[in-house]
Amino acid sequence: MVKKDLSITFLGVKFPNPFCLSSSPVGNDYDMCKKAYDVGWGGIVFKTIGPKSYVINEVSPRFDTLSKEAEPFVGFKNMEQIAEHSLEENLADLARLKKEYPNQVLIASIMGNDEATWEDLARKVTEAGADMIEMNLSCPQMTSHAMGSDVGSNPELCKRYCQAVKRGSKLPMMAKMTPNITDMVEVAKACLEGGADGIAAINTIKSICNVDLNKKIGMPIVNGKSSISGYSGKAVKPVALRFIQQLRMGIPGVEISGIGGCETWEDAAEFILVGSRTIQVTTGIMQYGYRIVEDMKNGLMHYMEEQKVDHLEQLVGLANKNIIPAEDLDRDYIVYPEIDKDKCVGCGRCYISCYDGAHQAMEWDEDSRRPTCNHDKCVGCLLCGHVCPVGAISQGEIVFKKTAKPGRKIKDIRL
Amino acid sequence: MSEKYMKEYEAGYTPKLVMEEASRCLLCHDAPCSKACPAGTDPAKFIRSVRFRNFKGAAETVRINNILGAICARVCPTERYCQQGCSRSGIDKPIDIGRIQRYVTDFEDAMKMDILEKKPLNGKKVTVVGSGPAGLSVAGLLASEGYIVKVYEKEAKAGGYLRYGIPEYRLPSTVVDKEIKRIQKIGVEILLNTPVEDLESLKKENDAVVVAVGHSKGKMLPMFAGKHFVKTAVDFLHDVKRKKGNVKVPENVLVIGGGDVAMDTVTTLRLLGVKQVTDVVYETFDEFKASKKELQGAQDEHVSIIDGYVPVALKGKKVVFNHRFIPAKLEVKADLIILAVGQYTEAGLLGLEVDKLQQVTNAKGNLFVCGDVSPSGEKTVVYAVRSAKETAYAVKKYLGGK
Repeated sequence: MVKKDLSITFLGVKFPNPFCLSSSPVGNDYDMCKKAYDVGWGGIVFKTIGPKSYVINEVSPRFDTLSKEAEPFVGFKNMEQIAEHSLEENLADLARLKKEYPNQVLIASIMGNDEATWEDLARKVTEAGADMIEMNLSCPQMTSHAMGSDVGSNPELCKRYCQAVKRGSKLPMMAKMTPNITDMVEVAKACLEGGADGIAAINTIKSICNVDLNKKIGMPIVNGKSSISGYSGKAVKPVALRFIQQLRMGIPGVEISGIGGCETWEDAAEFILVGSRTIQVTTGIMQYGYRIVEDMKNGLMHYMEEQKVDHLEQLVGLANKNIIPAEDLDRDYIVYPEIDKDKCVGCGRCYISCYDGAHQAMEWDEDSRRPTCNHDKCVGCLLCGHVCPVGAISQGEIVFKKTAKPGRKIKDIRL
Repeated sequence: MSEKYMKEYEAGYTPKLVMEEASRCLLCHDAPCSKACPAGTDPAKFIRSVRFRNFKGAAETVRINNILGAICARVCPTERYCQQGCSRSGIDKPIDIGRIQRYVTDFEDAMKMDILEKKPLNGKKVTVVGSGPAGLSVAGLLASEGYIVKVYEKEAKAGGYLRYGIPEYRLPSTVVDKEIKRIQKIGVEILLNTPVEDLESLKKENDAVVVAVGHSKGKMLPMFAGKHFVKTAVDFLHDVKRKKGNVKVPENVLVIGGGDVAMDTVTTLRLLGVKQVTDVVYETFDEFKASKKELQGAQDEHVSIIDGYVPVALKGKKVVFNHRFIPAKLEVKADLIILAVGQYTEAGLLGLEVDKLQQVTNAKGNLFVCGDVSPSGEKTVVYAVRSAKETAYAVKKYLGGK
C-alpha cells in the first residue's frame, strides 16, 4: 500500500491533505461535515454564512445538468444561495466541529452586505473557532445585488470589504473570485491590497444549461420561469485552470485554493501543478458522495511516488512556467499523424473530421477501409487523433517548415 | 493443433473499454457485489477506483483482499457471486466484474507493483502441504504476517489445479507463474517434487501444519474401471496442460459430466481439433452445474451436449444411457471416453480421516486443513482464497498472534 505525506501548508495553516469541501450544499451542517471529516477530507469550507438580516428563501427545484452522449453530468447548474440555517446554528456547528476535529482544517465562508456585516461576521466565526476565513465575493445567484458576484467584479468594493474583514479578524483569509469577469488579476490584487492573504478560484460560471423546447423556458423551471445561475463540474475545469494560471502569472507567489470540476486525483494534480495548494470540491461530491476523496488521496500518493517527491509542496506550480503566451510558442515545425493500421478498425471518423474540420489531408481507401495521411496537405493539427475511437493515431514524424530558423534539430523538439 | 488451446480465450480490455465498463457501474451504496464475493475482493471499491482513474489504487484493493486476484479475475464464476446481485441488471446486464479485475491485475503486473507486504519475522514455523489455490493463499497470508512458511508440493511445478487442471486458454501458465512469484517474494519457500511422507514429524518440527491437498484425483465409475480407452478428466486436462496441447486425441470423444471440469474438457477437446465431441450430462439443463460462461464456451465450440442421461452399461466402446425422467435410451460409441464425474482427495494417504464429502475430519492441535478438504463451501478458487483467510486467522489465533 502506498503511503505518502499529503499534508500541505496554505496561508500558514497546515492541512493533513489538500482536499477540501467547497462552500456549498455539501458542507451545510454539523452532520455532513462530520461525515466528510470521517471519510478523510483534509479541510472544510463551511457553507457561506450571511448576515442575520439576509433571509434565505430558495427555489424548488434548483439544479440542472448538461449531458453529452451517455455522460449525464458533464456540467452542473445550481441556484442555491448561502447557508439557510440561522447564524446561531451555523456558529454552534463551527464550534462543535473544531472541538471534535482539531487536526482537520475548518474554514468559515462568510458574505456580508456592507462593511459592518463583513466585519461582524469575521469576528463571530473567529470566536466560533474557525482556522481560516474565506470571503465569498462571487456567488452568481444571490437575490441581492449588494452581495455575490456583483460585488466580486468590483475591485474597489472588494478591497473595502477585505479591509473590513481584516478589522474583524486576524485569521488567515482568502478571497473567493468570480470567473464572470475578463481579468481576475485586477480583482485579486485589490483583495490582497485590502488584506486578503490568498485567493480561492473559481466560483461558478453564470449559465443557462438547457432550455425546455416545448415550454420555451430555461431549466430548471420554477413556476414557468428560470434564471441564469452558476455552472460547475468537470466542464468548468479548463476555465478554472486558466484563471489560476493567470493569477500565478499576474501575482507572483500568490497562494491559491483551486476550485472547479475536480473529481479525480489527476484533476487534483493538475490544479496543484498550475499553482493551487489546496483543492475544493463540490459537484463531484454531489454526484458521487464524500467517498471520492479516497481515490483522490490514494491516486495522488501514487503520483507523488511516480514523481519521486515526498512533499506535495514540491509539485505546486511546476506547470506555470510551461504555459506561455501564444506568440512565444515554437511555430517552426509540423508533427504528422502516425496511423497504427493494426489498431485501426476502419470507421473513417478521422477521414470525416479531417475533411470537414481540417485540411482534407486524410485519404480514404474504400476497399481496405483504411486512412492514409497526405503530407502535402497535412498541417499537423492532429484533429484526427482526437476523434479516433481506438487511439490508433499518434504523433509521428516531425518536419521543419520552410520558414523555420536554419540549423534546427528534430532531437531538440519536446513533444 | 495446440495454437488455439494455448491462446487466452477472452481478450483483455483496452484502457478505453475498461473505462466504458466501469462507467456502466452504478457505484451503489452498500454494493451487493462486494457483499457477494466469498473472498471479500471488494469489487465496488476497485471499480470505483477505476472509474476515478486510480488504477494503482484499484490494484491495491484487489491484491490486498485477494492474494490470487489475477487468477480469480480469469476463472471465477462471477455470475454466481459478485455479478449475481449487480444492480445494473435492473437496467440491462451486470457489470463484467471479472474482466475489470483482469484489467486491474494486468495493470498491476505491467507497472511491476509490489503490493503484498510482509511483517517482520516472528520466528514461528508453518508448513503447508499442497501448493494449489488454497495452499498458496494460506502460505502467502501467513508469510505476510511474519511466519516462516514452507510449502511441500509433490509435483514438479507449483500451482496444483491452477497449474495442471484449468486449461491454458482460460488460465495461462504465465499468470500462475507470476502469482506464485508474488507469494514467494514475501518469503514463502516452495519445495517441489517433495511429497509428504510423515505428517506426524512435520507436526513436531513446525508450530503449525496446514493440509491443503485438494481433491486432486478424478473419480472413476465402476463400469469403466480398467478400460484403456477411458480416462478421468483430471488426468486428461493435466496431460494436455503439461504438454502444452501437444497430445494425440482420437476424432470421436465422449465426455460424461456437466460441471465446470466437464466444460473445460469438452472445450479443450474442440480447441485441440477433435471433430466429434459428445458430452452426456446427468443433470438436465435446469439443474446444470457448470457456470453459464463455461457452458457458453462449450456451446460456442459446437460441442454436442445431451442432458438428463445416466450411464447404465458399457458394451465394448459403446456406452448405454437411460434418461432419468422419461423413457428414452441413448447409445454412444466413442474412441475415447473421459469421465468428469467428481473428484476425491488423497488426504487419506497422509493418515487423515476423510468423510463422504471428501473433507478431513480429524485435524486437531497444530494441524489445520484448508481448501477443498475443509468444510469450505464450493470447490472454486475463490472459495479456496476464502478458506485460506479463515485458516490463516485460525493458525494465527492458535499461535497466539493478534
